[in-house]
Amino acid sequence: MLQAVLTFATAVVLMFVLMRLAPGDPIQRAQDDRMMSSQELARLRAIYHLDQPIHRQFAEFLKGVARADLGNSIEHGLPVTTLLAGRMVPTMLLGGAAILLNFTVGLWLGVRQAIRRGSREDRALTVLSLAGYATPSFWLGLVLAWLVGVKLGWLPVAGMKDPLLPPDAPLMVRALDVAAHLVLPALTLSIVTIAGTMRYQRTALLEVLRLPYIGTARAKGIPERAVVWRHGWRNALFPVITLFGLWLPLLVTGSVFVEMVFAWPGLGSLAADAAASRDYPLVMGAALLAAGLVVVASLLTDLAYALLDPRVRHS
Amino acid sequence: MHPWTARFVLAAVLVGASASQPPWAGAQHESTSVVIVTGQQATTPVPTLMEGPQNNLANFEIADHLFLRLAEVGPGLITAGDRGFLPRLARRWTRRDSLTLIFELDPRARWHDGAPVTSRDVVFTYRRARDPEIAPRLAQVTRQIASVAAEDDRHVVFRFSEVYSEQLYDASFHVAILPAHLLADLPPTKEAWSGFVQRPLGSGPYRWVRRVEGQFIELAANREFFLGRPKIERVIVQVAASADARLNLLLAGDADAIDNIPPPLTNYARVEAARHVRVVQVPSNNVGYLLFNQRDPAARDRPHPILAEADVRRALVLALDRDLLVRAVLGQYGYVPFGPVSAQLWIRHRAPEPTGQDQSTARRLLAGRGWVDRNQDGIREDRNGAPLSLRLTVSTSSFIRSQMAVMIKEQLRQVGVDIELVRVEAPVWLQRRAAGDFDIDFSAATQDPSPSGLVQSWTCGGPTNVAGYCDPAADSLLQAAIASPRADSGLWHAYLRQVEATAPAAFLYTQTFVFGVNRRFRDVTIRPESSWRALWRWEAAGS
Repeated sequence: MLQAVLTFATAVVLMFVLMRLAPGDPIQRAQDDRMMSSQELARLRAIYHLDQPIHRQFAEFLKGVARADLGNSIEHGLPVTTLLAGRMVPTMLLGGAAILLNFTVGLWLGVRQAIRRGSREDRALTVLSLAGYATPSFWLGLVLAWLVGVKLGWLPVAGMKDPLLPPDAPLMVRALDVAAHLVLPALTLSIVTIAGTMRYQRTALLEVLRLPYIGTARAKGIPERAVVWRHGWRNALFPVITLFGLWLPLLVTGSVFVEMVFAWPGLGSLAADAAASRDYPLVMGAALLAAGLVVVASLLTDLAYALLDPRVRHS
Repeated sequence: MHPWTARFVLAAVLVGASASQPPWAGAQHESTSVVIVTGQQATTPVPTLMEGPQNNLANFEIADHLFLRLAEVGPGLITAGDRGFLPRLARRWTRRDSLTLIFELDPRARWHDGAPVTSRDVVFTYRRARDPEIAPRLAQVTRQIASVAAEDDRHVVFRFSEVYSEQLYDASFHVAILPAHLLADLPPTKEAWSGFVQRPLGSGPYRWVRRVEGQFIELAANREFFLGRPKIERVIVQVAASADARLNLLLAGDADAIDNIPPPLTNYARVEAARHVRVVQVPSNNVGYLLFNQRDPAARDRPHPILAEADVRRALVLALDRDLLVRAVLGQYGYVPFGPVSAQLWIRHRAPEPTGQDQSTARRLLAGRGWVDRNQDGIREDRNGAPLSLRLTVSTSSFIRSQMAVMIKEQLRQVGVDIELVRVEAPVWLQRRAAGDFDIDFSAATQDPSPSGLVQSWTCGGPTNVAGYCDPAADSLLQAAIASPRADSGLWHAYLRQVEATAPAAFLYTQTFVFGVNRRFRDVTIRPESSWRALWRWEAAGS
């Protein structure tokens, strides 16, 4: 736990210092092509405490965090907490759908590859998964949006919901609407990440299936399906759980391109825009969230280990 | 795969494919709604709060649906004189003398809550707008308004500190009127106004419905709008930061209109090829130019070792084939301006033609200043052997400028000028520009409809004159043009000729913005100074 807190604090301090060391001034940036006078720039610097030394800025930031007030975004002019809160649900939806696809289809296909090792299906799945892995997500997203959305008109091309749908529409209709908008971005994100899960699962299961206790189970006449899923798969999950722990924060903040291509209102694109425009308060808000997610993912991974392996639980 | 699994997947695909109308698409066909897709979401669409970073197009465009000004600039965008303006909250205006304007408010004007619009609202709004602590930008642009006072409920008197041609423009364009009955008792801080920012209430053709963070803003028609009930009942302004996503939404029919389609040229071709989309061209308010630093970046108190020479700057301008640059990057949707004049400014009419490429004169001018290729490496050197080498700083955030910069490097190399392209992120580029840390800066400026804004960057004391440009003769001509009591393009052209002669910059392009609008809409007008301001007059087929 102490380690988790230290990790969190180090990440936040590093982000605070590095953002301010990076070249580029958030207030200069904010004027864009509409140039501001030096007096106006000075006034804005004072509002965001940017006229103070870095240690005072950090103290102001910590005071704000203690009050659950992360300040106002320079670019958006809204409280950072409001902006982050507005993006949480879409982010969790997209990240959750991608993780779900990844760790259901990915695991299932990995297991199939392992038990059919060397077969035509194994080779075909390997080629397909590596092709998906090698495909840039923004390119795949553009192609899917154009083909499925624009050309065929099967699915919405962008956004998270139909803006013309009234907010008091039946829940089922609204849920279907969001689900339809979710298909293409979730699919894009999954296709490019699923290869890793498949490869990890395949390798891990092959290792386990070689172990003597699997031979014993087979010798006892246990059906092959039970040998694989009950005895083999459970022990082959550990590397995949590690992978899950690593990907959880990435799927929340690392889907920038997919969010851009599909105009999905997630945290990734918000954080990337904030970093590009040196919107310090918003960057720090996103950093707090990302660092928190890393810690949570790490805790979840440890819990999953303990759940699956009695040795970990008892130690 | 289990046979039943395969059959289920196949059946689901077939059902999905055969559905002529997916359930989520039902709402898209409301004939009296319009979905506009833009690149940025408005966060503070409230007059006098759109300052600093909130001084952006997204805020202004939403505010223009919600709030009315006293009067609007007419279709010709003539900002000088009292003619051509359209009545809005004020139904007429008269002059008491050359320093006094009196507005008579339209008695039919109402706030969205039904309260009448009165002189008190105008006085309250301008008190805020002229307070540099609250609205420094507005206070600067309205600095020549000496006082705003109510004569009675319907009449407001504006006094100006001096005689000039844009008094009516200054009194009407910069700020829309706020409801004093809701806001006058609040402290002037932005925090105190947060409730109003979340749910603004104005007097315009549309009223606020909701904002969904990162997705869209919904407005509904103000059916009691005193200038005529809007024919479009609902306006959705959807946000998609990526130009590809915006185009896809338009082409798939999920959105009805898209603003300012950016290059590359293939984007224009995609929209032109779509049968259900009408392309609307609108004069832009931006102008792109190579800004020559006349001060030494290493020591700002010294002249630039190369670019302080007017002949060298003129040579650089003449070496460029600016028409080719525009055609290559903007196609038919742009042209080379004469001076720092965007396509939106009225002074562009009957302006002289910009000088074309003339490499031989450019070479002669450079040689005349001692820049000769002494070692036959293709790059000119001075008498001491120092090469004619300059850094061109360009922001990576601009596709247009990034593309043109590569061609500029090559065109200048042909006359023996070595250009080092310095590509930096937008924040770094802006920081360097403000600090004067550049030789040549690939700048772009967004302009108000008034040419008097040129004072900011193109006069000796201009607050945003970062390149040390100073020509007293040009300053005098500009002051004469601004002070003229009528719209006199001759005076403005004399000023522009002086600017072009001293070549503080190579003025490269001004765009024609390309909008896409679904053909089911009639009476489509897109205003250059605020794209969707006339939307309340649009009509949808079948409405």
